[in-house]
Amino acid sequence: MSAPAPERTRRPAGSPPPPHKPFALSDSRGRLRALIIAFAFILTLFGARLVELQALRGPELAEAALNQRILTQDIPATRGEISDIAGRPLATSIEVRDITADQTLVVDPAQTAAVLGPILGMDPAELQPLLTGESRFTYLKKATDPQVWRTIQTWRSDPANDPEVLQAIFSERRTIRDYPNGQLASTVIGFTNSEGHGAVGLEAALDDRLAGTPGSVTFEQAAGGTEIPTSDVDQVDPVAGSDVRLTLDSDLQWMAQEALAKQVKASGSDFGTAVILEVGTGRILAMATAPAFDPLNPDTVKPEDWANKPATWAMEPGSTAKLLTLSAVLNEGKAKPRSHFSVPGALYRGGQWFKDSHEHGGLQLTLAGILAESSNIGTVLASEKIGGKKLYEYLKKFGVGEPSGLDFPGEQTGYVPEPADWSDTTFPTLAFGQGMSLTALQIANAAATIGNDGVPVTPRLIDSYTAPDGTVEQTAPVEGEPVLTPDTAQTMQSMMQMVVGEGGTAKVAEVPGYLMGGKTGTAQRYDEKCGCYSGYTGSFVGMAPADDPQLVVGAWFDNPQGSYYGGEVAAPVVQKLMTAALANHNVPPTGGKRANFPLDWGGLS
Amino acid sequence: MSAPVRPTAAPPRHDLLRASRFDWVLIFAALALSVLGCVLIASAGIGAGDGTGPARRQLLAVLLSLLIAYAITRVEARSLRAWTPALYVVSLLALLLPYTPAGVSIAGARAWVALPIGFTIQPSEFAKLALVCALATTLAGRPRDGAVPNAAVVRALALAALPLAIVLVGNDTGTAMIMTGIVAAVMVVAGVSWRWLAGLAAVTAVVAGAAIALGVLADYQMQRLLSFLDPTADPYGAGLNTLQARIAVGSGGIAGRGLLAGPQTQGGFVPVNDSDFVFSVAAEELGLLGSLIVLLLIATIVWRGLRIAADASDMFGRLVAVGVVAWFGLQAFENIGMNLGVMPVTGVTLPFVSYGGSSMIAAWLGIGLLQLVRLRSSGGAPARLGHTRRGP
Repeated sequence: MSAPAPERTRRPAGSPPPPHKPFALSDSRGRLRALIIAFAFILTLFGARLVELQALRGPELAEAALNQRILTQDIPATRGEISDIAGRPLATSIEVRDITADQTLVVDPAQTAAVLGPILGMDPAELQPLLTGESRFTYLKKATDPQVWRTIQTWRSDPANDPEVLQAIFSERRTIRDYPNGQLASTVIGFTNSEGHGAVGLEAALDDRLAGTPGSVTFEQAAGGTEIPTSDVDQVDPVAGSDVRLTLDSDLQWMAQEALAKQVKASGSDFGTAVILEVGTGRILAMATAPAFDPLNPDTVKPEDWANKPATWAMEPGSTAKLLTLSAVLNEGKAKPRSHFSVPGALYRGGQWFKDSHEHGGLQLTLAGILAESSNIGTVLASEKIGGKKLYEYLKKFGVGEPSGLDFPGEQTGYVPEPADWSDTTFPTLAFGQGMSLTALQIANAAATIGNDGVPVTPRLIDSYTAPDGTVEQTAPVEGEPVLTPDTAQTMQSMMQMVVGEGGTAKVAEVPGYLMGGKTGTAQRYDEKCGCYSGYTGSFVGMAPADDPQLVVGAWFDNPQGSYYGGEVAAPVVQKLMTAALANHNVPPTGGKRANFPLDWGGLS
Repeated sequence: MSAPVRPTAAPPRHDLLRASRFDWVLIFAALALSVLGCVLIASAGIGAGDGTGPARRQLLAVLLSLLIAYAITRVEARSLRAWTPALYVVSLLALLLPYTPAGVSIAGARAWVALPIGFTIQPSEFAKLALVCALATTLAGRPRDGAVPNAAVVRALALAALPLAIVLVGNDTGTAMIMTGIVAAVMVVAGVSWRWLAGLAAVTAVVAGAAIALGVLADYQMQRLLSFLDPTADPYGAGLNTLQARIAVGSGGIAGRGLLAGPQTQGGFVPVNDSDFVFSVAAEELGLLGSLIVLLLIATIVWRGLRIAADASDMFGRLVAVGVVAWFGLQAFENIGMNLGVMPVTGVTLPFVSYGGSSMIAAWLGIGLLQLVRLRSSGGAPARLGHTRRGP
């Protein structure tokens, strides 16, 4: 410091700087002034910056702020309820909360887990890892009762509790689909996907009606995603979906599923299906498949087991189709119930021998006898009276290969080859129900057409829709062109009584006190895996009261392992269901007498 | 209580006299900022869902700070000087506490100590005060002792280097910057030659440049320091604070959104808006008018503090006053600057306003020291900077 410091050059030129000029208090005042000027300068800069940000750019930044806060969220519409014919709920929507966490806000995972565990009903040790980490969004527990979230809020609002412990816990409101009756009608109703839309079954088919229109809410949102309490809210209310009332009767549906399940197990069948139809209205009172599944956990079974088999499974009907063939013969006036047919033990047609299910010598059967004893050869002989072309026309009129009109997702139309594609054996084969396919619903509905004096009615599962405003839209029966004359139909009704009577194939189907009619079916089962026939499909379709039909009940068992005859595997189930359905439906016995056509004629059988 | 008791003694006459010689403008400016701080903390606390608890704790800290500040004015300046070495050593030891198991890291800075009674203290707040006293003691020398000898400058640098090193190791860049500023201001006023000052400035620049170039600073520190230049480059990371503070400040406009009604504040968009970014709350809810008032109150404190420095009757008092004022001023500028997006984001508080007991007590200790200097000077009579009342 021997040389004079630069600042000292400011001193008056006249006084030479002393070699060791003391730095006095007064000297430091000049430096203080420099400090003041520096501070004043920075202060001015900041003032200018404030004016720039708040006055000049204020509106622009305020808009940036608003854009950051504004958020539009969908408000889910309440999905319509599905109920049975009596209004008992089959599918409903309930409000639930997903409990979530922002891990970055968790102060002490162990402490939070200890408090939250009992509320969520979870082990704190299992909860703690979910609360530890850097994720801003983690599900802790999905679909909890709304009460759980209220408990968390109550805990937080208690001044005795540390607000930091649960500050990282949030919830999301949503509705989930509940099926209060579990497996009841699960194959009909289906289930919804994770977005809450129908995925399978009626949930999918009726999604437009059930879903409603979501609303939206626009609000100013805080950084954490919660609503700013003071902000304005712009809300468009959601429109709830319509409620749907089905034609199904829960009691009958449950009974059908139970009976099927029991028989599937007892008979060793792959599966079983059953349909209960109301004659004249087309209302489906039960549409059952066994095994069914739990619609809340559909993934526990294979997707093919979600199917509503009465509509989606087309099989070769076998002898139940003789109802169609013989109706056609009668309607064309080519035979009467008592008409005589000489039925040989085997029949050679198109280069092939046709036989009946039981070996027999020459039989002398009436038309009624052919139906009651389910003679293939007799049916072929009878059908030859009208010819293949006519038979084909009647099959089409009965709906084979045509949509049933139910419009169920994945529904099959069945199949019958066009006459142009027929081989020499097609006609006789079709006559007794092989070489074509129908769904169980189509067969049941064909029987119902006979029961309805020849007039087909489109089957339906929907009874009514109720809009959120309370307007009810009722469905009505849709009748088709008559297939049979009333006379023919009533004759068939009488002949069907013989099937259940003495000498018929299904005496077990008799319902005490009622006149019961029906037809068994024991069809060779076409196996897609091998492309060949393998096993059988045993079935029975019945109607009662047979002299004034009100109900049609059909049951089908696929690939039974023991006895596979329709009269043995399916008829007892139909008998049980018909007994219940008649009682449930308050159908009074008609008191009529059983038709009594002779089954054979002349000589010895 | 029925027994006759000795009537409460009236304050001794010299006490009243002392009080009348306080710089009340300075006290009221600091008090106004402290109370405003409580209000802003209440608003930020309610916005964050914490309620008024933090604000009430802050109010308690203000009252405690007033008592402590009054107590320090009763210390003899001479004994303050005598106690300085002890204060300095204690503050150094305290700075090391965060490295013990009681230490707490916040936002990457190891600067807090958890006390068993349930709150944390930040020793670096007090270390700044101790540094001011130590520098003043070293650089004041004996009155009218002439130019600052080189040995004193070296001693002062050594005294500054120790706490600086500790806070730098603790990643507390903000405190390190403030400490450096304090050293510079005190040295300038103490009369350290311009050569020394220029040399030190050059060394500081080189060291800082080398630290950056050699990657001594962690990546996140660099990003945070530089993000204010372009906060939109990483709007959800390093630039988040700068960007959100700027939006909140701008959203306040001229008149402000009203207390408790600033949507960005109430929505919790600005991180740590009860402490480091409390200015954004003032700016959003009280507008340009409110933020200019905050600026003016800070300016008043700096102005009154520098006046006290100018009027000091000895170099020690002046340097203490300058050190305290430099601390308040630099910290306020750094803090407001980062709220306005013109300074890098470092974790320093706005004196008197930000949430934090340590910061509040330390700031009021500073006010107490300024009053002490004023009491020691020419009786607190008005003095004007730039007017030499005592001859050379």
